[in-house]
Amino acid sequence: MNKKIGAVIFPIFVTFFASLFASKNPDVLETLAINYGFDKQAKEIASIFAGYSFPFISSHFLSTFCAGATGLVLLYILYKGINGAIGRFIKYFLVLETDKK
Amino acid sequence: MHIPDGFLNNNLAAGLFAGALGMLGFCLSKVFRTVTASIGVLAGNNNNGNIGSFAFKFSDNAGKYFQKMAIAALWIFAFQMFNVPIQSATSAHLIGGLFAAVLAGPFGGFIIISSVLIVQSLFFADGGILALGANILNMAFIGSFLSYYIYKALSGKNYYLAILAACFFSVTTAALFCLIELGISGTVSFTKAFKDMMSLHSVAALLETVITLALLKVFKISAEGKNE
Repeated sequence: MNKKIGAVIFPIFVTFFASLFASKNPDVLETLAINYGFDKQAKEIASIFAGYSFPFISSHFLSTFCAGATGLVLLYILYKGINGAIGRFIKYFLVLETDKK
Repeated sequence: MHIPDGFLNNNLAAGLFAGALGMLGFCLSKVFRTVTASIGVLAGNNNNGNIGSFAFKFSDNAGKYFQKMAIAALWIFAFQMFNVPIQSATSAHLIGGLFAAVLAGPFGGFIIISSVLIVQSLFFADGGILALGANILNMAFIGSFLSYYIYKALSGKNYYLAILAACFFSVTTAALFCLIELGISGTVSFTKAFKDMMSLHSVAALLETVITLALLKVFKISAEGKNE
């Protein structure tokens, strides 16, 4: 199998297993907040996929998996964007440099 | 250890946000420079006219470098969803700072972890938007950028020792700084919470070491397969 495709499919498998088996316990900072009583200070910010769940799906496994996959797609788009922007930036400078002459 | 909004003092959060933005710009320019470096002449120093204008373009492995960064970001995002229970009613997950830094260098590692944190805070409410600066300082700057130099200093002697030391440095120092920020903001007393924070995060550091070693092994095997 092509290595590049494998490297992109692997995180989707990881999110699949994460949505099935990941622990739902609070992480270390949240535990600390609960133990020391400052967890009420946290402000909920309105996000589309708050808490790694897809808004319209009630099943926990499916909603987590969909949210994770969406996150992967978003990151991929972000890096495509950076790559494209730097390509454009370089072309723009090339045009500027050639215009000077 | 994604700090949510409300735990931090607004002044501190804003200051750290500005620092994180500056560091992000610096690292982007550094990555930009590595991507164009193989040509030899950079944008600024084209004193002898005609060479400078055409020497400024993408090097051949620039696309590969960005591909590697994108893949590392995807892997880290996926593994950060995988919470592993460590003690009664507590879970920990990979930060991935050292993994990113070993793959893409300290500047690339900083950008990878920051991009993951930005996506998490904007779309998943994992870590606050105002606290993003503090999170970038903790996880991207200390966890990735600084721990890379620990790894680099020790990797000549023993690879496994270097990974272990750098992972422990990255996780425990990030936790320490997180606690210092919380202490400065007056959210929790530094001395009271120190023991809990450190003991739980040293377990998380062990987890980080194991996963980082496994991921780097997988990457090394697939890279060797590509050359054949």
